[in-house]
Amino acid sequence: MFKNEEMEINLGPQHPSTHGVLRVKLRLDGETITHCKPVIGYLHRGVEKICENQTFFQGQVWTDRMDYCSAVANNLGWAEANEKLFGITVPRRAQYIRTLLNEFNRLASHLIWLATHALDIGAMTVFLYAFREREDILDMNEAFCGSRLTTTAFRIGGLREDLPPGFEKMARKFLAKFPTCLEEYENLLSENRIWKKRTVGVAMLSAEDAIALGVTGPVLRAAGVPYDIRKAFPYAAYAEMDFEVPTQTAADTYARYLVRMAEMRQSARIIQQCLDGLPEGPVMAKIPKILKPEVNEVYHATEAPKGEIGYYLVGEKGSINPYRFHVRAPGFINLQSLPKMAEGGLIADIVAAIGTLDIVLGEIDR
Amino acid sequence: MPTPTLLQSIAITLIQCVLVVLFVFVVVPLTVFAERKVLGHLQQRLGSTRVASGHIGVTGWMNRGMWKWGRIPVLSYWRGIPGLLADVLKLILKEDIIPAKADKFVFFIAPALSMVSAVVVFAAISFVPGTFFVFPSWFPGLAGLPVSGGIADINVGLLWILGVASVGVYGIVLAGWASNSKYPLLGGLRSAAQMVSYEVPLAISLLAPVVLTGSLNFGEMAQRMATGTSAWGLVPQVFGFLIYLTCGFAETNRLPFDMPEAENELVAGFHTEYSGMKFGFFYLAEYINMTVVSALAAGFFLGGSWLLPFGLQGLANQLLPAGAWIAGPHAIFFVAKIIFLLFTYIWVRGTIPRYRYDQVMSVAWKYLIPLALVNLLLAAFVRCAV
Repeated sequence: MFKNEEMEINLGPQHPSTHGVLRVKLRLDGETITHCKPVIGYLHRGVEKICENQTFFQGQVWTDRMDYCSAVANNLGWAEANEKLFGITVPRRAQYIRTLLNEFNRLASHLIWLATHALDIGAMTVFLYAFREREDILDMNEAFCGSRLTTTAFRIGGLREDLPPGFEKMARKFLAKFPTCLEEYENLLSENRIWKKRTVGVAMLSAEDAIALGVTGPVLRAAGVPYDIRKAFPYAAYAEMDFEVPTQTAADTYARYLVRMAEMRQSARIIQQCLDGLPEGPVMAKIPKILKPEVNEVYHATEAPKGEIGYYLVGEKGSINPYRFHVRAPGFINLQSLPKMAEGGLIADIVAAIGTLDIVLGEIDR
Repeated sequence: MPTPTLLQSIAITLIQCVLVVLFVFVVVPLTVFAERKVLGHLQQRLGSTRVASGHIGVTGWMNRGMWKWGRIPVLSYWRGIPGLLADVLKLILKEDIIPAKADKFVFFIAPALSMVSAVVVFAAISFVPGTFFVFPSWFPGLAGLPVSGGIADINVGLLWILGVASVGVYGIVLAGWASNSKYPLLGGLRSAAQMVSYEVPLAISLLAPVVLTGSLNFGEMAQRMATGTSAWGLVPQVFGFLIYLTCGFAETNRLPFDMPEAENELVAGFHTEYSGMKFGFFYLAEYINMTVVSALAAGFFLGGSWLLPFGLQGLANQLLPAGAWIAGPHAIFFVAKIIFLLFTYIWVRGTIPRYRYDQVMSVAWKYLIPLALVNLLLAAFVRCAV
């Protein structure tokens, strides 16, 4: 008598909680998701190809525009990949400042994640609180390099300039108040029954699945795998820093929330150490005006806020442009786990799943 | 007092209608404004707490002083008004779009249905028991005639309120269906299930006061609730109030139960395809419904037009000297309670996240309905035993 049909629905590309222009094709049985397929490419600008037509110095500007929430982390990966390619040693002070800014950027990126993730689940207040703190970090970005979002913070071989006067005061002021801000968010969320109901056991991704799919970053660590490139293959000044890699074993949305919150505390710890132990000296290595690569190819991975960001550069002898440039974008690879997380859940769960993956479409589509 | 003729009583009823509608349409924009302000302060938003920071007048003078000391002034209550005005203007001026394949008649009628059912409920709500005011002797035609505190003093007021209020769900379901779009359809389906589910515990929780007082008339019930019940009646009243308030949040589609319009899942739920004043009607209906739910809570549980809630007024009246102003009913208490409950709505919205759809349903059927039934039993026990 009644016809039983599945409904196909497009989540996106214009939708309040797909964090950009992600389109997810859903097949629904009632409100249960039976089939889920992410469709990407709406923000493709050809960053990799563009970089192949620019000099090694110019490429960094494009890395800003990939994951625009963590531009500094992208810059760091680019600068270090190039330094590896040309065999440049960066002065110690520059390494410390890079670490410092990178961790500030991790805080900013995690705050955006917290804000949007909480908003997706309906907690509006956390959204505005988190943006309030992010504002201070952006102010520091502005003080350092004049730009708030697309920073182009570093140069191959070090930094363009030393920290501006007053920067340390700003940073210390921020560090002094940040723990109370974190407590403020946690008071609103951590033990909130509704928050737990919406996140505990939702969008599970086991360690085996995560490893098989190549997922990295907090999503992997929430499944119990303590893989953090800052510890596993230290770069910048991370070898000299004392910090922990927070992990959880539950592998659900709540575990990822706990991991990221703990990571923010560790980042604050690293920033504190950078500020206290900041060595004196130059911030720029001696490098030639025109860079021509010696080695053929290089792959350099760093721990971006969203996971492993890897830069693969192929140099051509005698050329001032990279022959081939490829980015292993964490968001792109993490997004592949979305069907695994969302299928079998409800519509509301896919919103939580997208939020917990912490994707930025600029980086996925490049 | 003279008995009014038919024409005079019609005139009086019309005046009452105008007064109530006036009340509603004054309270609703104020609630919208309050929502901006309260949320603005809860969430430290800059627009609603800083825009038009007032450089003229007394507050302007204070604000300028505070800027001078290097403090951000938060004093002016009117700050944020430009945002509200812009919002209203936008609603009125916006193009009214009807989707190409929508059912035009149903699409048109749905917002009206929501709105009308929300306003009509007020007919049975009495703001003050007995006479509200008497027309002064200079008033043409109606001199010396009393105006009662409610429009329709009907015996089955509660039935009327519940019956009319439940028509409002049709507005939402029909809007979702008539839009011929997938997100509104999902929103409409959700709201059908949710509002029907929550009407059950809502009605049962309202039955507790009915059992305690033995009346379905709004004014009479409020009066007996405030002064006539025994001290043991306190327990079912407090529990009933909490259950009622929870259901009220669900009935008005407010956080944490805003399933039908869950912004981050269903774009805007049932009103995704609506624009202009048609959307404005849904928006207004939501706020009027909030006022209705608050008014009912105030009348049935919080002592209505008396000062103290949960039947404690009777206790206070024994201690107070006879004829004290505070011992009698006043419309201002009633309105103050409504305003407090409206504030609670906004407060909750600023604090907690949203339930998932299946969890919303399980809250209603697994917890609220059994609790409401137990509460009703308790009320019946109190009524018989004490």
